[in-house]
Amino acid sequence: MSNVVLKCENLGIVFGGLAAVNDFDIEVHEREIAGLIGPNGAGKTTVFNLLTKVYEPTSGEIFLNGESTAKKTTVQLSKAGIARTFQNIRLFNKLTVAENVMTAMNQSMKYSLLEAVLRLPRYWKEEKAAREKALELLSIFDMQGMADVRAGSLPYGAQRRLEIVRALATEPSLLLLDEPAAGMNPAETAELMENIGRIRDKFGIAILLIEHDMSLVMGICDQITVLNFGQVIARGTPAEIQSNPVVIEAYLGKHKEG
Amino acid sequence: MSFLNYLVSGLSLGSVYAIIALGYTMVYGIAKMLNFAHGDVIMVGAYICFFAFTRYGLNPFLSVVLAMLVCTCLGIVIEKLAYKPLRAAPSLAVLITAIGVSYLLQNLALLFWSSNPKVFNPIIPNKSINIGGLTVSYITILAIVVCVAIMIVLTTFINKTKLGKAMRAVSEDKGAAQLMGIDVNTTISVTFAIGSGLAAIAGVLLCSAYPNLTPTTGSMPGIKAFTAAVFGGIGSIPGAFLGGLLLGIIENLAKAYISTQISDAIVFGVLIIVLLVKPAGLLGKPTREKV
Amino acid sequence: MNRLKAMNRTTRTNYLTYILVIAAYVILEVMLKGGGLKAATKGMLVPICAYIVMALSLNLTVGVMGELSLGHAGFMSVGAFTGTAATMCLVDAVPNTAVRLCIGIIVGAIAAAIVGFLIGIPVLRLRGDYLAIVTLAFGEIIKSLVGNVYMGVDQGHLKFSMFTNELNMSPEGKIIIEGAMGIRSIPKIATFTAGFVLIMISLIVIFHMVGSRSGRAIMAVRDNYIAAESIGIPAFRYKITAFTISAAMAGAAGALFGNNYSSLIASKFNIDTSILILVFVVLGGQGNMLGSIIAAAALTILPEALRSFADYRMLMYAVILIAVMLVSNNQKIKDILKNAAEKRTGKKLAEGGASDE
Repeated sequence: MSNVVLKCENLGIVFGGLAAVNDFDIEVHEREIAGLIGPNGAGKTTVFNLLTKVYEPTSGEIFLNGESTAKKTTVQLSKAGIARTFQNIRLFNKLTVAENVMTAMNQSMKYSLLEAVLRLPRYWKEEKAAREKALELLSIFDMQGMADVRAGSLPYGAQRRLEIVRALATEPSLLLLDEPAAGMNPAETAELMENIGRIRDKFGIAILLIEHDMSLVMGICDQITVLNFGQVIARGTPAEIQSNPVVIEAYLGKHKEG
Repeated sequence: MSFLNYLVSGLSLGSVYAIIALGYTMVYGIAKMLNFAHGDVIMVGAYICFFAFTRYGLNPFLSVVLAMLVCTCLGIVIEKLAYKPLRAAPSLAVLITAIGVSYLLQNLALLFWSSNPKVFNPIIPNKSINIGGLTVSYITILAIVVCVAIMIVLTTFINKTKLGKAMRAVSEDKGAAQLMGIDVNTTISVTFAIGSGLAAIAGVLLCSAYPNLTPTTGSMPGIKAFTAAVFGGIGSIPGAFLGGLLLGIIENLAKAYISTQISDAIVFGVLIIVLLVKPAGLLGKPTREKV
Repeated sequence: MNRLKAMNRTTRTNYLTYILVIAAYVILEVMLKGGGLKAATKGMLVPICAYIVMALSLNLTVGVMGELSLGHAGFMSVGAFTGTAATMCLVDAVPNTAVRLCIGIIVGAIAAAIVGFLIGIPVLRLRGDYLAIVTLAFGEIIKSLVGNVYMGVDQGHLKFSMFTNELNMSPEGKIIIEGAMGIRSIPKIATFTAGFVLIMISLIVIFHMVGSRSGRAIMAVRDNYIAAESIGIPAFRYKITAFTISAAMAGAAGALFGNNYSSLIASKFNIDTSILILVFVVLGGQGNMLGSIIAAAALTILPEALRSFADYRMLMYAVILIAVMLVSNNQKIKDILKNAAEKRTGKKLAEGGASDE
């Protein structure tokens, strides 16, 4: 078995007496695509917020590449290798597409503010390299032609793709995708699916994704975890989940689209 | 003077701040804007009362009512002409417009009434009574009584009447309120009207205690009352009341025991400390962005 | 021509700004030398430069960093008092006025940067309107404190005192800052050229910062701080960097301003001054440096230009301010502009798809 990238034990958070997520366990390996599904309000995005420390967990532990993340902040977790996208798109709207991606490379760039103001050689060298790398990453989604357009003026689908590229630019070992196919038509979803697979192969990373589109989830996930009312109610391969009576009752049977 | 004396006079000044802060906080709650011109409405109210009462000898009560009427109309007009067209504009644009309105009112006052200070006659006799060894002036008592009365009436209005409930609904969510059949524009107008009417009362009380009336009389109390509103938690009516009272007391005690020159610095210093400990003010609700 | 086309729009705007500032300087300098300027206009050149630098500085905070500061006059005050006190102390030590002014501006910038950094630590943890009111509070605190500082030089030693003028100086001692009376008999060594150089330096710093990883990080935090943190941008650290630089520029502007008048008092740098600068920034456009420069220059001249209206001039100023805000935020006018902009982006997207990057 390959390396465990993410491991959660008994993860939980309580909001005003209500357990939004309770006893959440998961293990995601290198080059594995894991799915997190469940009806609306099941606590899926909350899990992402716990993993990235947007919320501080009230219980449980998270291990990233074997190390506990208990003492790490959102910013430090990015450095440690977690990158994410957001359900409600959060781009830097007034920056260009290329700038959005280059911003995510901030950690790997070394020149100081003084070097930037004086425009010393290291500034030019690193900026050129960053721009080239940004264009290369954008080419995954064939977006290099939009590099100098403001992110806020991109069409919806392109904004979702840009979020993924921006996350990849931080060179993560774990990529969290929050409803990457939301608002996309079937053709776009199929293309996205292919691209997610390609990203996994190219970068060799672990991917955990939340998605309502069952064709996507069942099509590319190696393992699926089902969440309902903050509890894990099932776990297994797509085939196992599809035939699991608990899941069908709690989720698929009642509201197909969540 | 004893500590108790300073405390009571601080309470009186604080009552005036609280009345102004109520106007600020209501307008902020509903329109989400910092109405920088609010302080200048105070000044206009004080001038109207000055002319009606000191110059033309009108009955003091009628003078105050007249000042309130004028300020209420002024508030509605300002909202209609300057702020309403900017409902969808960025908040900074609204802020700058409010500053423009503030300049406009000050300069109109300067033009009509000149920069020479007017000596404002207190609307009630300038006497004091002795309560258990404590000398308290009538105007001090009046300010405190008026402030408490306004607070009670306003709280009842907001919680019990239909219009008050509409105001709360609009301040929570303008769009949803509109869908529920609430006339958002009227509700906002009413809020400005009430806030401006209160400003007139505050102007009269302020000038009865500090009888020097100039076109810039309202600026500093306006800014301090705004501070008081933030201090108590902007958008919260009990917060404005509490913030105003505390600010007045702190200012007076600082003047008495520390230094007159830096009393303002101390007031602002306390505000900063409070906001660092409670970023949404004393009674404000902290907000969290949904991720 | 091809190179010009290859530059992106930001770079082109930056160069245009440099060129216009240099051109304005050359024209005014020629007019100054040729005696083509009225005395009143001449006297306004340095204050205009100081206000332009103030506007650029505040635009860094409001436009680039996206936080509203209502106390920027406080930093100007710190720079003005330290910078002017420095040049006055150095009258004998540094006879060359240009060098002395330069030292004064550097002292003013450093002092304001230190104050800006210290204030930034608590202030920048707050958000939105709360941040704005706290900057206002700090501005007022600085005004009160500076108005109570006494300072003198006595046999090469600096002496300070707060609230009282008991500086215990020998008879040869010279008092420099006198509480609420401020600084008097200042030699007025500020020059238009110094103002021009300061504007150019400020522009270079801002443009080069915006075009660097720090600038991108600051703007990313402005646009979406949650996303910025998720990609490893330490929001607070970048904000405080920008705020400190902004304060330093305001301090430099203050030092230039202070050295232009024969006397200087603390109450000059009040909330009205802070708001005046904010008006420049908003009218010029947030994040638009050329706009700030034009707005600062135009609005400093405007009250003078309206002098023939005598008593009505501040009234006119207020009316113009409101009218500009109402017109520039009019939904119909905005829609027209938006449509035009969308057409342009649409064209770019279409072109982009076909081009080979």
